[in-house]
Order: sequence, then structure tokens, then C-alpha cells
Amino acid sequence: MGSFRLSSGGLIDRCKRLNFTFDGESFQGFAGDSLASALMANGRMLMGRSFKYHRPRGPITAGAAEPNALVELRSGGRKEANTRATMVELHEGLEAKSQNRWPSLGFDVGAINSLASSIFVAGFYYKTFMWPKSFWEKIYEPLIRKAAGLGAASREADPDRYEKSYAHCDLLVIGSGPAGLMAALAAARSGGRVILADEGSELGGSLLFEREEIGGKTGLEWARGVIAELASMTNITLMPRTTIFGWFDGNIFGAVERVADHVAAPTHNEPRQRYWRIIAKKAVLAAGAEERPIVFGGNDVPGVMTASAMRHYANRYGVAAGHNIAVFANNPSGARSLRDLRAHGLNATAVDHPIINVKGGKGVKAAVLAGGHDIPCDAIAVSGGWSPIVNLMCHRGTRPVWNEKLAAFLPPDVGAEFVAAGSANGKMLLSECLTDGAAKGTLKGKPPAVPKCKDEAYAISPLWWVKESKGKAFVDYQNDVTVKDLPLAAREGYNHIELAKRYTTAGMATDQGKLGNINAIAILAEATGKTIPEIGTTTFRPFYTPVSFGAFAGPFTGKHFQPVRKSPLHQWGEEQGAVFVETGLWMRSSWFPRKGEDWLAAATREVKATRNGVGLCDVSTLGKIDVHGKDAGRFLDILYCNTFSTLAVGKARYGLMLREDGIVMDDGTTSRFAEDHFVMTTTTANAAKVMSHMEFVHQALFPELDVTYTSVTEQWAQMAMAGPSARATLNKIVDGAKLDDTNTPYMAAREISILKGLPARLFRISFSGEHAYELAVPADFGNGVARALMQAGKEFGIMPYGIEALSIMRIEKGHVAGGELNGTTTAGDLGLGKMMSTKKDYIGRVMAGREGLVDPKRQVVVGIRPVDKRDRLRAGSHLLTRGQSPSLANDQGYITSVAWSPMLNMWIGLALLSDGRNRKGEVVQVFDGLRNHHMLAEICEPMQFDPENRRLHA
Amino acid sequence: MGPGFRRDDDLGSNLIITCPHCGARPVEEFTFLGDAKPQRPTSNDPSSMEQWFDYVYLRDNPKGRIDEFAHHSGGCRAWLVVTRNTETHEVHGTVTAKDYAVRAKKSGR
Amino acid sequence: MLRESPLKDVVRAGRYGADKGAPGVTLSVVHPLSLVMVIARKGKAKAAKESLTAMRGATVMWAGPDQYYVKGAEAAALKKKLGDAASIIDQSHGRVMFRISGPKSRALLAKGTPVDLHADEFPIGKSAVTQMAHVGAHLTCTGKDDFELSVFRGFSESFWEWLTEQALEFGYQVN
Repeated sequence: MGSFRLSSGGLIDRCKRLNFTFDGESFQGFAGDSLASALMANGRMLMGRSFKYHRPRGPITAGAAEPNALVELRSGGRKEANTRATMVELHEGLEAKSQNRWPSLGFDVGAINSLASSIFVAGFYYKTFMWPKSFWEKIYEPLIRKAAGLGAASREADPDRYEKSYAHCDLLVIGSGPAGLMAALAAARSGGRVILADEGSELGGSLLFEREEIGGKTGLEWARGVIAELASMTNITLMPRTTIFGWFDGNIFGAVERVADHVAAPTHNEPRQRYWRIIAKKAVLAAGAEERPIVFGGNDVPGVMTASAMRHYANRYGVAAGHNIAVFANNPSGARSLRDLRAHGLNATAVDHPIINVKGGKGVKAAVLAGGHDIPCDAIAVSGGWSPIVNLMCHRGTRPVWNEKLAAFLPPDVGAEFVAAGSANGKMLLSECLTDGAAKGTLKGKPPAVPKCKDEAYAISPLWWVKESKGKAFVDYQNDVTVKDLPLAAREGYNHIELAKRYTTAGMATDQGKLGNINAIAILAEATGKTIPEIGTTTFRPFYTPVSFGAFAGPFTGKHFQPVRKSPLHQWGEEQGAVFVETGLWMRSSWFPRKGEDWLAAATREVKATRNGVGLCDVSTLGKIDVHGKDAGRFLDILYCNTFSTLAVGKARYGLMLREDGIVMDDGTTSRFAEDHFVMTTTTANAAKVMSHMEFVHQALFPELDVTYTSVTEQWAQMAMAGPSARATLNKIVDGAKLDDTNTPYMAAREISILKGLPARLFRISFSGEHAYELAVPADFGNGVARALMQAGKEFGIMPYGIEALSIMRIEKGHVAGGELNGTTTAGDLGLGKMMSTKKDYIGRVMAGREGLVDPKRQVVVGIRPVDKRDRLRAGSHLLTRGQSPSLANDQGYITSVAWSPMLNMWIGLALLSDGRNRKGEVVQVFDGLRNHHMLAEICEPMQFDPENRRLHA
Repeated sequence: MGPGFRRDDDLGSNLIITCPHCGARPVEEFTFLGDAKPQRPTSNDPSSMEQWFDYVYLRDNPKGRIDEFAHHSGGCRAWLVVTRNTETHEVHGTVTAKDYAVRAKKSGR
Repeated sequence: MLRESPLKDVVRAGRYGADKGAPGVTLSVVHPLSLVMVIARKGKAKAAKESLTAMRGATVMWAGPDQYYVKGAEAAALKKKLGDAASIIDQSHGRVMFRISGPKSRALLAKGTPVDLHADEFPIGKSAVTQMAHVGAHLTCTGKDDFELSVFRGFSESFWEWLTEQALEFGYQVN
């Protein structure tokens, strides 16, 4: 085997050797190589096994359309499957593995499928694995997955960072070949904001490998001159290594920039990839055209590749695909390859008859021509013509248009905001590409002058497949679809292209038919007696090439999956040893364990200390909304089912808010600080929803109201002070007159001053059932005031308590919360039906009166307690009439909240029970389906502790 | 408005909506609430139940133009009415829900 | 009692990220902050705007329809000045403001906001309410490459972590 690295030429740096491994074996390449070119230079044409038959495969392209040379890169958390070796930039230490083979690339047991290929025809899976049904999960599916899978994803976490960014431009140019460069130059010179993106590692597109002459220079020199000019301008952004993967509504383009895929690992400061959303006023598709193969027997043997790929490897990478090359083409690309390959001293010959078969297994030995004679060769260059890369322009549903003369689908007219230029637009001459690019890139004024160049005439005589072919002739390499599969699909009734695609799998997977689709369409056309445009294409969808999940997730993973929201008292909570629990985005202090305590022991202690002395709880996360304006009271009357316009200044009132369908939405206290100023509170969970709701009700339903509302949740640190010593503790920090029942009676709301001049809002309200207050101070003072209160309350045994203790106390008091305000309950269900005003319009009023919502058999809130006090109630348990078996028909309701009550010394709960108000004292059967546990419990009043509310006023 | 809120996630980069206050913004800054045409009944009499039922539950699902509530929740927080084509995704125009409501009340619809 | 920044233990002065000469961006936290929201009452939009425009020594930033953030004026003083033309809501503690400047400030902010920040589209003095890293943000251009950005206080730490991570590639200075 002679050397495959040509002695000279190419854009590689022969002074810079790079070490890499493939399947564990060490190789060397040069800087500027792709993984595919470096492997070929080392005589390794075999790079993968095919999907179904496990046939040996080598690269057939030198670019993004590569269906065969799919490899796995790197290892551990950085492992990436299904990357195209043709697009991978070689770098020092690159680690690559072949896929889809077992035990090794050279000897693959799965290749036996090829011998049994008569049963592996199109639709094989559908036909074979139909029955028995029970075999699917255990036998068929695992078997298919093991045999048919492409690369496997890593199970380790990806250690690299990914970013996201937006970009805006007047013109986005996609592709940096002759048309793209000309378009970018025209736009940039006219002063527009331009982005030029190209998926390649280097800008230049086809000029990096085609031998052209532009303006008296080589095409490459011309390209480099243009790129240098563009790079010197401030109004253009050059984005190499960036794939535009999709076109979306609003002329937004999705793109992935491979920031650090060309090195072994990104530095700490850079991401591996960046996901871009490019908002473009206008865009030019200059993605070029894809050379398509001709379908003939053995056209997948490693060493068969497109004619342009073969000269790409020779001209750009200085690599020969073989030394004796047969060239089979129906258009001038064949002659071009002959010229270039011969210029490199290679022996290249055009075949005089179509190739019907290829001799050789893991490499080409000879081409068998129609008429029977063989041409010995070690590589075959093939060209069936060119397909403009129209994908992006079809992503919004428009279909490409057939052009008979070029035997190709051209991009559709999708309007002025996205146009095609150059060979993507069916311009097959270089001068046309330059002129088209200049015209499409010009944002204002006249297009710039286009340099002179030498054109090579273009003509094509369509040839899709060689009918005399012997052996397997592949239409879709990646999915192992042969020329026989499509007529079979048609015969079996799958004659629509979309059906045939799914039946045969042609054009699926990462390849998406970039190479094979048009041949598949042509073959199906003949099989069904239709024309190619009658058959049409399948639907083009994003993504043009696969995009990693990491790029989609961006920086929003792990801890930053969603933003974390911290209370202004977070630090105080930390000082007190809080365990924080996520509640929506908030981190809330849930309990404050002491040595040896679990959550229950801690919460129990916190409840006892609060009920016996005083407790301090962070309630800053409750939604707080300042409502201002002449119509503030009226607005609240509309929002809540009870009335607020009558609330006296200096007072607080509990409110219940319904949805328009009559179901309860939220609750909370609202206080009045002035005629035109209320402060509303919402539950933590519903704060954002309530705000949106208020905005809707005002702006869309009652725009005539003079009212404003602003979230002040974050402005105020708010603490609940509860327990018999709450007032005494507060009085130690209040300025001026001390708090008493006259100046601060139950449900008072006041603006006061504490700690020698700090402004504060004080509310005498209680969720715990204790004599309690809520104190709000500007957030920057929160931790300081909480510390001062801890100091002041020391003599009363002050105890920090978390939302677990809060929850226990509210269950003891029968107050409803999230478990009961669960989106199915009405005010009546909650025992709050009397709050519903009959004197005013409010959201939900009429719908709350629907038959089903006032049905006396509805499940309503009741208290529940075990008959045997040692039994533990479990939330979610279902309630049954005593003696009945658990079934849907027998279901009477369920337990919504439970707590271990330190005051009552047993598990208690709240439940929703059918006709519950008339069942107080009844013993019901409790069924916990999760644990298959039955017990008996008694239905009681929701308020199980201090039912006379004596402690509120104590 | 409880149920029915739909928030577009990060992947669906599509529509651009021109907020009358903020200018052109991508769809991910908005939250949608469906057809804006139904008008809230003015009567609270139980006999108006059928009207209420229509208002709360019945929505047209037209192929073509629709006036749709959009909340600029990731921006100025104004409720808007976006007129768009469900078939082509073309956005025909955007007004504030306030102006839309005032106009609807005037026309007595 | 002194005002305590929620970022006092999080933001540390120094030079971070890529070390390619001058930092691409310079970041700092504005604390203590004086920031008041002013919302015109019904029919008073013009009067409110005129009163605000006539104010001296404070910065008025657009913050939504007939809404403004006023930086550097006391809520009480604004209430006196605007009377019943507007609702005055103090957010000095409710929001945390960052200053972002330097040649890469736009590239940094573009990682969060879809707003076009090109100087022609977003000149000095212009404000936008937008979303960055899933957090509502108020953004104002204050100089050639200078911006002020505020978020709700509770998100400030999480937002700072995102912001500084995105600034790594440019190299950043924290003051």
C-alpha cells in the first residue's frame, strides 16, 4: 500500500504533526486535517459499519452530509456519538472510536445480517415483530435496539459549559463560498450590520478545495482577500464553525457555534458550544449545492466517494483516496476531478460504461462495468449531479421547486426576507454565483462590481441509478436502503413519498436524506409511473445537522436549571441553622434542627415553643402587592368574592379570590393604609399568577378603573411573630407608644417605627391561631431586625420556626392552604361560602352558582383524627364509609393535609369529604393505597385546637 | 385566569411580536390566553348562566385570523391582543388589551 | 442600622476570567440603592411625566407604559411633588442594581436579552424591561458601553452567578 498523503499541496501545516487515536490505535495527522482526511492519509478508509447490514463503510463526502463515517469522540462525560469524521477538526490528543460494530470494526458479527439480507427488506421490522404482542417489551425491542443503534450517549455528566446568545443583524449570510462572500461583502460595504456564518472550520466554502480563478488570482487567494477586508470592518461578524440549523417564524435563525470542539477540552473560560438565536431583518442562503452519488451495485464499498469529495481531500488536505481511480459522472464534475487528481500525479480514468458492481469488501478492488469488463482500481469517484442545499428555506413548510434542466430541486420563493444565492439557488457557473451573491447581499444602492472569472460550462444528463446493477445498490447509505426497497414499498401501497420514507427509512436519522433523497424520489417516481415533481420531496424540518442537548440546555443545568430566589431573611435563617426547602423558586426555611433532631422533632419543638412563648417565622415570600388609586377599593371588590371597599383605614381583612369559573384561586389578607392605598398579600405559590390575573382583570376587563398595583414582595422582609409573648417581644423594639389592644387590636394594620427610626408595617393577623403579628421592614434591614427580635425575645424563650411548624399550627387551627386550595374547591367547599357577596359583581360570582358547584354532596373540608390515637394519618389516603371496600364508586373523599399535633398528641388532618359538614362525629374507613393500609378515623370540625379562638386575643 | 396559561419554552424560537410599549420581542417573553373576542357578560343574574358559560368555556379555533390575548409577562407586563394567522403564523398587528376592551365596549359587542 | 446588601458575601472585587489584557467588562453592584417606581394614575400620564422631567438630581428611567423608575430621589419627596398624579412605590430594597461597562458589555448582555442593544437601536438613556436568564430585568444604557440593570432582590445572587459565568470569556473586573 503506497502512501495516501500526497507529497505536496493542501491547506495543511506539514510542520505541525498531531497525534490522535482511532479505536485505540495511534495515528498522526497534520494541523488542518479533518479526522477523515487524517485517517485516509494513514490508509484507513474503513471508518464505520452500516446501520442494518453492518457493511464496512468509508467516507463518501468531505462535509456535513456524510452518512457513513460516523464516529464517537472523546470518552467519559465528554463522549459524543454520531459525529461526522468529515467535519471533525483534527487536534492533538483527539480520541475517536468507530460505531455500530461488535466486536471490532474489522470483524463485525452483525455483518451476518448482510447474508440474511433477503429477510431484512423494507418494512422488515413492521412485518416481523408484530406478534406475539408480549414479545415486544422483553425480546424484540431490546434486540432491535442492540443491533440497530448508532452511537451510545455517555451516562456521565458533561463537564463542559454551554452558552446561549441572541444576535441581531440586517443581513445574515449562510455559507461563505463565492456567493456568500460576495453577498457579505456587498452588505458590509453598504454599511449594514452583517453576520457571515459557515459550518466549516475556515471560511471560504468550496474555494477551499476547488481550483478556480477569480479576478486573476486563485479562488482561495481571492477568498482570503475578501475575508481580510470583512475582518477589518466593524459592522460584520464572522462566525466560522457555526451551523445555522433552522429557520423559524419572525426570520429567526437557530445556530450552534462550536467554540471549543476543535480542541481536546475547552479552557475554564470558554464554553464548548454556544447556541445562537439570530434575529435577521434579511438573510441570504448561500449554502452551496450537495453532489449526489449515482446508485449502482456495491456503491457503498469504502473508496467509493463523490467526485467533489475526492478532489476536496486531494486539494485541501493533500490526501489521495486511492492511486488508481475510476471516475463515473454524468456532469462536468467528473472532468474536474480527473483534471485535479491527475495534477496530483494520481492515475484517474473516466469509465466508458456505467458501473454495475464493485469488487472488494473493505476496499475497492475493481469496478465492474456494464458490458461485463472490469477496471482494476482502488477508488471510485462518482457524480450524479448537484442538489442545491435548500433545507433551511423549506423549514417553514414551503416545498422546493423542480428544475428539469438542472435535474434538481431549487429553493422556493419565500419572500424578500430570505433569499438564496449562488449554487444554493441553482447557479452552476462561478460568475453567476458571484453576481447572484452581490445582488442578494446589496442592502441599498447598486451591487458592487464582480471580479472576472473563468467559467466551466455545466450540463447534466440525469442518471439516478444503473438498472443493470448487480449486488446491493444503496440509495440511503446511513439507513441501508437499497434500490429494491422503494419499489417494494410502492408495491405494498406505500407509494406516497412520506409513507415510503417511513416504510423504508430512507431519509431518516441524522442524515435526513441529504445525499440520497433525490435518488429515492426518482426511483419511486419510476416505480409508480409518476414524474419527480409529482412525487415531490419529504418535509424539511429543523435541524439541518444534529444539535447536542448541551447546546439546548445552555447554562441552565444543575443548580442553575432555574433561578434560585432567596428571602431577605435567608442569612438570618442560615445563622439559625435552617434547612431550606424549594417552594417554587424560593428557598424557604423549613425547620431549624438541633443536634440529633429530625424534621418532625424540630418542628414539634418549634410549635411548642411558639404556643408557649413566642416564635419568629420568615414569611417574606408571601406575595405583597401595593394597590393604589381612587378605584383601589372597587378593584379589590372585583378581584375578591368578599368586600374591601368598606374596609376601614388601619384594618386588615381576609380575602378569597375566585377564578372566573367559580373555583377558588387564592387567599390572603389585605390591609388598608389610606383611602387610596391597600396592601394585598397572596400565597407564595400563587404570587405571580395573581399578579398576571390582576393585570388581566384591570387592563382587559375593567380598563376604566383608576388603579395601579405593584409587587412589593421583594421590598419588604416580613416576619410572623406568634405566641403569648409576641407583643411583649415587639414592644421592646417599637418606638414611641407601646402596642396594646387599643392602638393595635386584632386585625389592625399600621405603619410604625422601630429600633429608633426604622419604618415598618405592622399587621395583627394570625395564621397560627396565636396572638400574633406580621412585621414588615425594608429588605436591607431584614436580617438586622430579625437578629434584634431574637435578642429582644430571649427572655421569653423566642424560637425561630419554619414552614413545617407553620403548617402544623394551621392544620391544628383548620386553616386552609395549598392542599385545600387545589384548583377544584369552591368557597363553599372550604367552609367560606358566607364570604361570597351578593351585592356586587366579582370574578367568578355567577359561575360559582353552577349546579355542580353547589351540589350538597360535594366534598367539603372537614377535620379528621384517628380513632386509635396511635395510628398515623397519611395525606392522600382515601375515605370510605365504614365497612366498604376501596373502589371508585365507594370513594367519599381524601385527606388533603396531615400533621403530628404536639398540642393534641396525635396525627390530625384536614380532608375533603362528600357532604362532610353533616358527618361530624362519623367514623370513616381510611385507605392508604400506597401502603395498602386501612384504619378508622373520626370526622370533626376543621379547627381542632383552641376552637374558641381564645389564644388569638390572649 | 387560572388554567390555560401557556408559556413558550426556550426551544421554540418563533414569532416576533411587536409590543406597543417595548417594540419587537420574541415569543418567549409572552404568555398566551387564547381568543380575545368573547366579552365578559355584564349581568350577574343567575339567568345569564348560559352567557357566562360561553364566555368562560367556549372558544373558536379558527383557521386563519384570530385576535389572541398575549401577556408581555417577560417585559412591560401589559396585556395585548395580537392578531395573527393560525395558518401562516403571520402577525397582522398588536394593540393593548386596554384599547381593545375600550373599543369593544364602545361598539357594544 | 446599616443597610445590608444581599450580595455582600457574594460579590468580591478582583479580576476574573480570561486574561487577555484589559478586562472585557467591568461589573459592580449599586448599593445602597435609591430606586422608586412611579406609575401615573388614570388620565394623569402627561402631568406625571412633566413633573418627572422637571426634576433635578434624579435619573428617570422608562419602566413600562406610564411607569418610571426614579433613581436618586426619596419616595416621600416624589409623593409630595406628584401628589395624586401618580402612585409612588419604593423599590430601593426590592431591587438590586448592577453596573456593567466595557467594550464587551453588549456581547455579555446579549447572552440574556433578546433586545437589540446596538447603539443605534438602544442609545444612551433608553430603557427596556426584558427577561434575562429567566429573570425579569430592567435595563438602561447609561453611557457609550455602560449599562445599569436591576432585578428583583431575591434573584440577585443567582443572577450574579449567571452574569459572571457568562463574562468569563471576556475577562472581567469586579469593583
